[in-house]
Amino acid sequence: MKEYPLKDIPEPNLLKDIFPYSLPPLIKFEAPIKEMIDGKEIVFDPTEVLSRDIHITDTTFRDGQQARPPYQKEQMVKIYEMLSRLGGPNGVIRQTEFFLYTQNDRDTLDACRNLGLRYPEITGWIRASIADFRFVKEMQLKETGMLTSCSDYHIFHKQKQTRQQAMDQYIEVVEAALENGIRPRCHLEDVTRADMDGFVIPFVQRLERLTENQPDHLKVKIRLCDTMGFGLSYPNVALPRSIPKLIYRMKEDCGVSSDRLEWHGHNDFHKVHINGSTAWLYGINALNATLFGFGERTGNPPMESAVIEYVSLKGDLNGVDLSVITELAQYYEKEIGANVPSNYPFVGKDFNTTRAGIHAGGLRRDEEIYNIFDTTALLNRPPKVAITDKSGTDGVAMWVNNFLGLTEKDQLTVMKVAKVQRWVMDQYEKEGRLTSISDKEMEEQVAKFFPDLYAKVKK
Amino acid sequence: MKREEIAERVIKVTARELKKSPEEIKESDRFSYELGADSLKSIELVAAFEEEFDLDLDEDEALKIQTVGSAIDFFAELLPE
Repeated sequence: MKEYPLKDIPEPNLLKDIFPYSLPPLIKFEAPIKEMIDGKEIVFDPTEVLSRDIHITDTTFRDGQQARPPYQKEQMVKIYEMLSRLGGPNGVIRQTEFFLYTQNDRDTLDACRNLGLRYPEITGWIRASIADFRFVKEMQLKETGMLTSCSDYHIFHKQKQTRQQAMDQYIEVVEAALENGIRPRCHLEDVTRADMDGFVIPFVQRLERLTENQPDHLKVKIRLCDTMGFGLSYPNVALPRSIPKLIYRMKEDCGVSSDRLEWHGHNDFHKVHINGSTAWLYGINALNATLFGFGERTGNPPMESAVIEYVSLKGDLNGVDLSVITELAQYYEKEIGANVPSNYPFVGKDFNTTRAGIHAGGLRRDEEIYNIFDTTALLNRPPKVAITDKSGTDGVAMWVNNFLGLTEKDQLTVMKVAKVQRWVMDQYEKEGRLTSISDKEMEEQVAKFFPDLYAKVKK
Repeated sequence: MKREEIAERVIKVTARELKKSPEEIKESDRFSYELGADSLKSIELVAAFEEEFDLDLDEDEALKIQTVGSAIDFFAELLPE
């Protein structure tokens, strides 16, 4: 075994090439990824994401809306405008899809389109039915998704069809789209539970033949829908659950290029975000996501995590404005009444709130010790401390200094705030309290013990 | 300030804050062990020293003080004769 002597260095090595703090931590790869497919070793180069046009597509108004009461038109227009700012001018959030079934759906789509924003581009979503196709025409969309279920669970048990009947029906709608100059995006529903060689590959090969002579803007797109969250990111997993193999076969056996491949996941096994990122790494360009992961059952890849993963992979913001995540969260809480768990990453009320005194002590000395990245600059969310009997005098000092806006040498020491901490501890030890101290109560203590500083803040 | 005066005032404050009689406090006593101060009480004690000597202490330096004797030396250095 090689012996590693301690390197006792005068300055800390904070690994800034990976943890710049001014950005989310970066994802660095050291070597290609190897996957055995059909007995052959296939090499994937994960650093390819740096040059590939990976991006995010949004389904907040489609899958996201299937999981909750309908949004009002004004709410959707506001969310659409915020999505545009979040994704930035380079279209990191490239597209969003709308239902087209009701007059309200179509009015809302028009209202969003009338904002004149370049991104996200507006596309539709229909079932693979000629009857549904008239809505796409009526709305003059350039692209529509269509439900093309491909597992036998769906074909045999839901649609009561044979595989041939299902394929013929899907192809008929795709042909109708092409005849009308509309780009078809086939959503391979339940693909992680489907027969690859017996249905999925033959169907996608047929789709490719249909559009091989079409101009690029009409070539079919393929959305791989992990409808039940069965997809797996691990190397050398068997199909149909293997995300690497699924993507490889779409590209190699069907000829679908990265720019026409999309991943749509579900979170039934807590794998939704990592599966989406894996799809990016193995060759898909578009990751389909919803705000806060709201979607059917356990939800879809959370949009905000996808945007942060994008920055981590690319090492660059590329025009995204992460602070809009916080705006969206506030909008959802206040205007829509959505309940995001307080510990939900990047968004929840307490995602960067510490309750442990020892962590609060670290945060006071250098916030990088216990904050994931510069959440103040990027998300407009300074790290916070919640006051309980476990948050310690360090926690109280941090809360009071934050409240009073005191920084560096102006900060009050733990000695100066000891009286506040004594009041906090008395709440638990003498009064038998079992809940956190509220911000309002803390403010009252600040007013009592630091009246001059409090008055300055209140001015 | 003379070391004797500082020692007397440090012991007086310590006795008051930790509810001890001045006679039972020795310079070798550790605040957190022999004198039984928990972490908050230790901070309150340093706060009481700040008031007693009308000083604003550096937090990191002040909280390093472990014994009555080292507290006396610390203030003796800060408040020379």
